[in-house]
Amino acid sequence: MLREWKTEWMKIRRRKIGLLVGAFVVLIFAWMTWAIRDSSKEQIYDGWRVCFLQFSLINTILLPTMIAMLASRLCDAEIKGNTLKLLCTMEKKGRLFDLKLLTGAVYLLLFIIAEYAMMFLLSAALGFGRPAEPRHLIYFFLENYTSSILLLLLQQVLSFFYENQIIPLAAGLFGSFAGLFSWFLPGAPVWYLIPWGYYSKLAYISYTWDEATRITTYYNAPFNFPGLLALLAIIAAGYAAGRYLFVTRKEI
Amino acid sequence: MKYMIETNGLCKKYGDKYSVKKCSLKIRPGCVYGFLGPNGAGKSTTMKMILGLVQPTAGEIRIFGEEVTERNRIEILRDTGSLIESPSYYGHLTGRENLEIIRTLKGVSRKEIDEVLQIVRLEGQQKKKVREYSLGMKQRLGLAAALLGRPKLLLLDEPTNGLDPAGIQEMRDLISDLPEHYGMTVMVSSHLLSEMDQMVTDVGIIDKGKMIYQGSLEKLHEQAKGSLKVHALNQGTAVRILDEHREKYRIDGADLLLPERSEREVADVVTMLAAEGAQITHVEMQQKSLEDIFLALTGRQVSL
Repeated sequence: MLREWKTEWMKIRRRKIGLLVGAFVVLIFAWMTWAIRDSSKEQIYDGWRVCFLQFSLINTILLPTMIAMLASRLCDAEIKGNTLKLLCTMEKKGRLFDLKLLTGAVYLLLFIIAEYAMMFLLSAALGFGRPAEPRHLIYFFLENYTSSILLLLLQQVLSFFYENQIIPLAAGLFGSFAGLFSWFLPGAPVWYLIPWGYYSKLAYISYTWDEATRITTYYNAPFNFPGLLALLAIIAAGYAAGRYLFVTRKEI
Repeated sequence: MKYMIETNGLCKKYGDKYSVKKCSLKIRPGCVYGFLGPNGAGKSTTMKMILGLVQPTAGEIRIFGEEVTERNRIEILRDTGSLIESPSYYGHLTGRENLEIIRTLKGVSRKEIDEVLQIVRLEGQQKKKVREYSLGMKQRLGLAAALLGRPKLLLLDEPTNGLDPAGIQEMRDLISDLPEHYGMTVMVSSHLLSEMDQMVTDVGIIDKGKMIYQGSLEKLHEQAKGSLKVHALNQGTAVRILDEHREKYRIDGADLLLPERSEREVADVVTMLAAEGAQITHVEMQQKSLEDIFLALTGRQVSL
């Protein structure tokens, strides 16, 4: 297994996947810095809550596209080079599917770690008054990483099945819009059925905006554990279905 | 006898149509087995089924005498190498990096890369990205990947596809050397019958998914008798004389085709025809080529 996983990393040499993820990290950092620059003293004081909410919102918009690109970079080399018919004489098809997913998951993990680093950096630079609640740090991971894994799974299946990578990339762009809409109608149960809707469904920080004082107040919302369970169930079902389709239906 | 590959009643059905029907192959150790057939005959599907890349609808596959199942497939295939249709490669990596991936998966030593690069004569191009390779170089890289680990059995599907005449010759020489130099058994498919004639020892001919001949190339040639081609200026007279002497013949345009016979018998027929005024200008013994044999077996022309 380790030997096979090693080859996954050998295959993506010069694919510039690190650069792709790095570019999104820089973009998000620039976006957050811009978003927070005119914040009031109250908002800076409550900076961690602002970060948890804003990062999740930005992830909803940007991550579907980044994940589509990531999955495409990981899978299209196999499609372009007709390598499956060679690889599948040396390793099981299902394992190849798993290892691709695992490789993508490692990049997403690094991305989330970079986001934590950005938050700590902003906290140190701006001096957030209220400390971060440890459970919020965990919720951030559960919300953003788990939602992203579902998207990675979806994009990997699409990238394996479509020779033309425009289709999976278009699905990623569509996902960005769908995810954004989910924040405007967070109560609608339909978002449980749409993979890009889970970032908003699992949001645990909310806010009110007072028109008279023009003050935004952030507050804790209960974490949506049933939503998380639904997401995990969808990931499990999606993984089983995607893997089965790849093993049995993907023509070599 | 323990065969390197043995299939029994192998079938593959797509929808209502059989791509391969009851194909029974037997490949003996140390031979170069030519798997012949026109495009769409079922060669690639059969080879893919042997490698477990396509699931058979029915039938049994044995490699090295062992029945192949999904459970033991990878283990059995560890001793095989394959090149199916177009070469497989990562264009953004160098030739050597591509082989390094295969080497890691096969778990063989690093020095084998140098050896296979030498066999396919790609040492000078190993640091170049594969997307910059010509098709011939990509094919050779594919063969190098198949040779890694010194497999006992090699399956090559149309390895000369897209190569220029020099490349075809080079690939042919490489393949025919493998049993002698490395003790490998090779199964090679092609629709180019002429090139098989110079490369293989055993032949299997498949048409419309069915095996129509299997045996040594020598026996196939023996089985396919040649003919005596006679050109007579006075064909009518020649036909009359042959009829009178109850000789079998076939009119082929301006020529007459008679069954193959000994030199003495050829002399007798020519003397007889000449004496009666058939005006013989040309006599030629014709040996059947593989194309003729294929035509005789299938009743249709194969692409060349």
